[in-house]
Amino acid sequence: MSLEQFKNRNVGTQNYVKLDLDHAPTDAWSQFKQVVKRTFQPELFVGLGVTLREMMNSLFRGKSHTTQYPFEKLPVSPRYRAIHDMLRLMESGNYRCIGCGLCEKICISDCISMETKYDENQRKEVSEYTINFGRCIFCGYCAEVCPELAIVHGGRYENASEQRASFSLFEDLLTPIDQLNLQQEYAGFGAISPNADENIKSTPLAY
Amino acid sequence: MDATMLPEVTAAGVIIKAVLILAVIAAIAGFGTYIERKILAFMQRRLGPQHVGPFGLLQLAADGIKLFTKEDIIPQHANKFIFAIAPVITAATAFIALAAVPVFPGFTVPFTDIYVPSIASDINVGILFVLGMMAAGLYGPLLAGMAQSNKWGIIGSARTAIQFLSYEVVTGLSILAPIMLVGSLSFVDFNTYQTDGVWLVVYQPVAFILFLIAGFAETNRTPFDLLEHEAEIISGYVTEYSGMRWGLFFIGEYANMITIGVIASVVFLGGYNDFWFIPGWIMIIAKIAFSFFFMLWVRASWPHIRPDQLMWLCWKVLMPLAVINILITGLVIMI
Amino acid sequence: MYEFIAFYVFAISTTILFLITVMSKNVLYAMTALAAGMVMISGLFFLLGAEFLGVVQLIVYVGAVMALYAFAMMFFDATKNIKEKHQNPTLVFLLGGLMALLFVLMFSAPIIGDNIQAIYPMIEGVGNAQAVGMVLFTKYLVPFEVAALMLLVAMIAGIILAGKKMDYSLTESESADEEMNIKKGDA
Repeated sequence: MSLEQFKNRNVGTQNYVKLDLDHAPTDAWSQFKQVVKRTFQPELFVGLGVTLREMMNSLFRGKSHTTQYPFEKLPVSPRYRAIHDMLRLMESGNYRCIGCGLCEKICISDCISMETKYDENQRKEVSEYTINFGRCIFCGYCAEVCPELAIVHGGRYENASEQRASFSLFEDLLTPIDQLNLQQEYAGFGAISPNADENIKSTPLAY
Repeated sequence: MDATMLPEVTAAGVIIKAVLILAVIAAIAGFGTYIERKILAFMQRRLGPQHVGPFGLLQLAADGIKLFTKEDIIPQHANKFIFAIAPVITAATAFIALAAVPVFPGFTVPFTDIYVPSIASDINVGILFVLGMMAAGLYGPLLAGMAQSNKWGIIGSARTAIQFLSYEVVTGLSILAPIMLVGSLSFVDFNTYQTDGVWLVVYQPVAFILFLIAGFAETNRTPFDLLEHEAEIISGYVTEYSGMRWGLFFIGEYANMITIGVIASVVFLGGYNDFWFIPGWIMIIAKIAFSFFFMLWVRASWPHIRPDQLMWLCWKVLMPLAVINILITGLVIMI
Repeated sequence: MYEFIAFYVFAISTTILFLITVMSKNVLYAMTALAAGMVMISGLFFLLGAEFLGVVQLIVYVGAVMALYAFAMMFFDATKNIKEKHQNPTLVFLLGGLMALLFVLMFSAPIIGDNIQAIYPMIEGVGNAQAVGMVLFTKYLVPFEVAALMLLVAMIAGIILAGKKMDYSLTESESADEEMNIKKGDA
């Protein structure tokens, strides 16, 4: 298929196929005929039948589309962007965050704030890390920019609480150390895609 | 109706009947909201209320508590007196209409001689009285809409007026044909006319359908719920109402639904006569219940129509049909 | 005894409600009082044993006529008070008083002169509606039919008056747009 037909900007000159719709009644007689036709077509009763069938289905066959939400939850997509998670290194159990500050810089709603210092091994260490969820728009830039896959978006979408602080501290976001074995390499937003290696291209030096 | 067959109707019997109607119908009208929500839910593949009590049965009580404890807001520029009495008019006329309607067959209270008649007040013009009282019921929405100084309310009450002017003719004319057949305006006579087991709907199918359509318009049920259609006029005449005043409108609406169901059952569907082995009181309850269910069923299935379509339907289609029906009935009676 | 009490309740409330209709400056109050007064009058009919008339009063006046009034009332602001202009209050008072006096005389004259005798007394065992029908279709057949014909003429006239430009949509036709523009320009 060539691109020609997409480059044609003369909208309206193409051969459109018109649907075979009934013509609107023009005079009183055809209007009357339409009314009679619509009156004696069993369409209204087909509608009644559909609702009755659905009622029988939901009454006797237990077919219902309701999710009784607080008691049962639907699975969320791995790419869903809810409250953040801070991941740990699998081997040492130390947190992955290297305190580079990229997430703080890229955050467009300016809700991440962090303080870092050097520890005794002259490594950067995060001393304060908070996300203000009153401002966060869950755009996912922080997860995307993180070089260490330390901050990712998790699946915790029930973020009603008595105070915002119960989500936003570093310790709350961090995987608990006793659940380290449950931590999975996150496949969601900000993670490296499975075919990341194939997608790497050499810089086009021809320019 | 041969009056000598029945025991004498005493004041005590009438009072018992009145209390019975008020209690039973008010309870059913409240319970109707639960049934409506549940049936609509099933028809739309939902579950409906189910957390308050077993199967959500106590939802009614929860709603009642909510309505009673809600703040009763009267808008600043509203006409306060009219605003306050409008819901009472709706509820009161709905129940007054039930005074002339046979709800259950007559019975004698056990261990006493008090005979409770089938109708609280058997006036000779029962059908006309019920229709007139339901006509008076239009003042509820009308005054409510005009008193609340809200544009949606005004539109709602204007729609009340045009809806009333449309359906009232059809109701009267459609019920005239069976009246001609029976030769009486009393519900009891209608009932006795059908004791032989042949329902009037067999003789008057057109009148029955016309009456059902007009009844839907009379109770503001879905194909004709112009007065309070949320998608168009917020809530119409009940926009500014809250709490128990709003609840009174709803009790009135459900009582009207039951009244229409009773009229349809008694006039067209054989009344409270025994049917094979089924006693009459079960039959009448079953018929009323089915007509109530039919109203909900229609609500779940059909879209609603525009005001001009309603007027067009009533004046240009239903009214000529009703007149032709009356003409044919008259000719048949003459021959 | 009960009828005695009921009569006075209905009579007094009718008078008060119609007084409100006349006196009130608020359209909404006037309309409500008028409708309620009609209901009270139908109560009087029921008291006299004329159920048919009472019900007709309910349906025709409370239902149809008042609904038309109410529909006309949609064009006003019902919450505002209306200031009436009295050009000549004495004349109004005089005429009103004369009218009232005339009515009292008219209705009380037969009572003083001769006790009213019903031309068509109620027949035992015949219902109200039947009695009305008998009179209507025997003695008053011609006036009844003439009235029906007049109503038919009025209805056709009304339809013709209202339906003059019914097939002519103001929103869809282009000539209507032009017409409206011209009208705007004139104003």
